[in-house]
Amino acid sequence: MEMNGLAPVPDSYDYDLIVIGGGSGGLAAAKEAAKYEKKVMVLDFVKPTPQGSSWGLGGTCVNVGCIPKKLMHQAALLGQALQDSRKFGWQFTEEVKHNWMTMTESVQNYIGSLNWGYRVALRDNKVTYENAYGEFVGPHTIKATNKRGVEKLYTAERFLIATGERPRYLGIPGDKEYCISSDDLFSLPYCPGKTLVVGASYVALECAGFLAGLGLDVTVMVRSILLRGFDQDMANKIGEYMKEHGVNFIREFVPTKVEQLEEGTPGRLKVTAKSTTGDQIIEGEYNTVLLAIGRDPCTRKIGLDKVGVNINEKTGKIPVSDEEQTNVPYIYAVGDILQDKLELTPVAIQAGRLLVRRLYAGATTKCDYVNVPTTVFTPLEYGACGYSEETAVEKFGEENIEVYHSHFWPLEWTVPSRDNNKCYAKIICNIQDNERVIGFHVLGPNAGEVTQGFAAAIKCGMTKEQLDNTIGIHPVCAEVFTTLSVTKRSGESTLVSGC
Amino acid sequence: MAQRLALRRLLSLTPRGPPASPGRAFGTSAGRRSTFNVQDGSDFQDRVVNSPKPVVVDFHAQWCGPCKILGPRLEKMVAKQEGKVVMAKVDIDDHTDLAIEYEVSAVPTVLAMKNGDVVDKFVGIKDEDQLEAFLKKLIGA
Repeated sequence: MEMNGLAPVPDSYDYDLIVIGGGSGGLAAAKEAAKYEKKVMVLDFVKPTPQGSSWGLGGTCVNVGCIPKKLMHQAALLGQALQDSRKFGWQFTEEVKHNWMTMTESVQNYIGSLNWGYRVALRDNKVTYENAYGEFVGPHTIKATNKRGVEKLYTAERFLIATGERPRYLGIPGDKEYCISSDDLFSLPYCPGKTLVVGASYVALECAGFLAGLGLDVTVMVRSILLRGFDQDMANKIGEYMKEHGVNFIREFVPTKVEQLEEGTPGRLKVTAKSTTGDQIIEGEYNTVLLAIGRDPCTRKIGLDKVGVNINEKTGKIPVSDEEQTNVPYIYAVGDILQDKLELTPVAIQAGRLLVRRLYAGATTKCDYVNVPTTVFTPLEYGACGYSEETAVEKFGEENIEVYHSHFWPLEWTVPSRDNNKCYAKIICNIQDNERVIGFHVLGPNAGEVTQGFAAAIKCGMTKEQLDNTIGIHPVCAEVFTTLSVTKRSGESTLVSGC
Repeated sequence: MAQRLALRRLLSLTPRGPPASPGRAFGTSAGRRSTFNVQDGSDFQDRVVNSPKPVVVDFHAQWCGPCKILGPRLEKMVAKQEGKVVMAKVDIDDHTDLAIEYEVSAVPTVLAMKNGDVVDKFVGIKDEDQLEAFLKKLIGA
């Protein structure tokens, strides 16, 4: 049997495909391959965090990412809704309080059902699953070590690396001993209390956001800018909103050490930090320090050197072709570990599925990484698709893009007198291409729901005129996009005063 | 489900069911003696597959809300059968191999076993009357 015009491959491997990593990308690919009657194995193993946290099958998204994050964000939103409800006539006399343990148990129960669901799905698809740490030991050969240290060797015709990432630590005294990360937060068996969040990533801001929404005293320590890589106009608005809603920000500082003042659940920690712009040193006391300064790929200890797979030595990411193939023809990679690709669950799933269809079903479609919509679930949610304003200016030139924008006031916020002129809508159009919409940005409630449909429209090449010809649904937030008329260029006001 | 939280629940909260006990019933306090938690595969073999009495096997999970309702209810109805049937509890996360072998997809799943064979089964919650009928059928058949 020939493959890609190379020398014939012997038909004597244990498996057709071994997937290393049972997360979004790995599981999607494994289940797809099984549909084509391929013999597939999935190896998934979670090395416990410095604090001892671990979890079941499903990867980051299910266990310590998107799912628990959105549920806790929802918990915070419900707290806000309870406050608003009084203006809508609901009467309750007691003070409303939040119980961390009740929320966390409910969230973890749901995750447990998902872990089990994945086990059943793999079994139903006849995919072999082992809870074991996989690493390459030689060509076409992998060693799987389970939690009791028992090692087994397996061979496969092809491999898919989908090992994902883990939170980065600061490398300062006390970081691993006393700080937690998102890997620990969603199953923390005690309320975190007064929390310092270090970082300005979406993980940092989303976590800081819901912790504050649950009533905790939260401070975010930011080294330089918020949400690097995102539209900075929107990022700053997000930060402003969080500040106005009780989140403290310490800008242009980095922690230099973390010391324990008192043990406990939570204990008391002392954080010392240094300014990035001068010599100033500050200290603060917190119950919990949550590090959210970035994530590193799990590619350094899986034996890639034994099989010659190139990685970016500095970042650990794996460069792949547009068919997700590494420099070694029988080894592929998918998900967060890919260099220059998006770190999103749906992207990993799509890439994994399409890859498998190309390998085993003769398909040719490649994963389209352009115009992928995203949403940041900060207290004021931010949905986006396409270019940020900065990137559009850089690529097309400021004179060739037209930015239409407007503030809006969700109807549901009027009665409880919430924040007028904070929600904001913006689209970026390419003047030289029929004013095609190349960037979509919305700051407001249900941003994810709003953005999803527009992402499909952008994929179809929607122009400003087509958008204007679309009649809005009333009264909803999204209709603002059908009546955008003020451009940034004009300098006119975008403030609104009601319906 | 994250492991730190699961451990804390085991250590701090009220026990979910009676502690493991030998299979032989002595007639009195039948409730405690007629229910046990399966320890491992060979325990299952000894006390369920090779059990001289019919056994109901309750496959459950810590994260499963309905299981917390069905478990005690089933134990109560088993106790009422005066030792004619015993109940084995299997946590599917601790004993995944067993759960997979018996094709458990959703929980709670309850199997009725006699002489090592599965003779009846149900998934989800049942009320006391339904459980009584289920048990009587197992004992009588």
